[in-house]
Amino acid sequence: MRSRGTAAAAAVAAFAALLVCASAAAARPASVLSVSVDPARVATTLGRTSTVRSTITNHGAATTEGLIAHLNVLGYDSGVYVDPEDWSSHRTRYLGPIPPGGSTTVIWRIEAVNAGRFAVYVAVLPRRPAAGAPTTGPAVELSVAKRTTIDSAGILPLALGIPALLGVLLLGLRLHRGR
Amino acid sequence: VTTVDAVARRPAEVGWVVVLGQELRDLWWTGRALLFLLPFSVLLSVIAYLTATNQALNYLEQRETVNLTLQVAVGVGALLTLVAAADAVSGERERGTLEGLLLTPVSRTEIVVGKLLGSLSLWLASFAITIPYVWFLGRGIGITGDAITTGLVVGTCLALFLAPLGILVSTFAHSNRVSLSVSLLALLAVFAPTQLPASALKGGASDLLLRINPITAGLHYVGTIVVDGHAWTDDLSWLVAPVLAAVLFVVVAILGGRHLRLGEAPG
Repeated sequence: MRSRGTAAAAAVAAFAALLVCASAAAARPASVLSVSVDPARVATTLGRTSTVRSTITNHGAATTEGLIAHLNVLGYDSGVYVDPEDWSSHRTRYLGPIPPGGSTTVIWRIEAVNAGRFAVYVAVLPRRPAAGAPTTGPAVELSVAKRTTIDSAGILPLALGIPALLGVLLLGLRLHRGR
Repeated sequence: VTTVDAVARRPAEVGWVVVLGQELRDLWWTGRALLFLLPFSVLLSVIAYLTATNQALNYLEQRETVNLTLQVAVGVGALLTLVAAADAVSGERERGTLEGLLLTPVSRTEIVVGKLLGSLSLWLASFAITIPYVWFLGRGIGITGDAITTGLVVGTCLALFLAPLGILVSTFAHSNRVSLSVSLLALLAVFAPTQLPASALKGGASDLLLRINPITAGLHYVGTIVVDGHAWTDDLSWLVAPVLAAVLFVVVAILGGRHLRLGEAPG
């Protein structure tokens, strides 16, 4: 009797667990969108502009409307400050309708403003906040090589030289006129 | 001081050329121009030194620094031009040399043109001093050529707007003090919108204000090329106000110069 009761309880528990999983899956359905990026890796130099293409594909049975694609940039190294606005001035794009099985491509221009290793990724989300979680594409690995843009050692001759030259000219003029 | 002798002894030469020559001698040979340019170069040196030794600046901030250097050069260069122009007629009147100048066989228009070009020499000199700084800061990021050309075009338009303004005020002011005060107040008024926070400059009315003000429009145009990397032709509409102001004020200053009178020097 006891073992039969235990088995029944286990069956009920298993059924309940199935119900919970099913209801959870219904609350957060698998996304019908996918985001791919090309290229997967970019190696560039400080100050250069690179282009990344992202393709948003609708795998669902209905046309998707009101989607927003957003580009984000982050640094892998904690010491490097990243302001995504510096890297791309148009990081938010409002997409048109995508038919079932169709896709749309968004091209992002990214200017490398810091040297180091960075991740660039695209997230697509619906305009209605309650319509679901964002769909995120794979991160593009961005390696930015350092390039010397200012020779700090060379500034002193210039910063001191020009005022000194003007000062000498002024002094010479005063002395010449004073004779 | 445009002396009577300098103008009267050269009847074969064009009048405004003689006035210009005398103005240049007065401005440069006395060392007055160098006195203006020395602190100007110190200011640019401080900006360039702070930028070049700041390792935390990223690539975009370097472009902004070139833009800042150009804006300082254009702003201070225009100020020097205005100060020189504001002294041009009222200074002569106050020193008692205007009467002799008016008696020479040179038309009033030629006097104004000669003095106008003389004061513009300060702008050209201040821009020549700016070039090494812009070259140093901009060479690593490849914007030296664009920055220098844009700064020269916009700065010359603004100098051609402010120098005639100074001459015009100076023509009708009875004292140098009044001429300089009014000119500097006018300069402050047109420069004030450049200091407004970005949040206050959103909307159609603000955009219109920025576009019709020659200073804000000119400096904005410099920024679009130097910082944003836009092409020369992308934002040409921002150059309309500086160019129109330059043409308009040169014409008004020359027309106003015809009414140049001896007036009374303050006692």
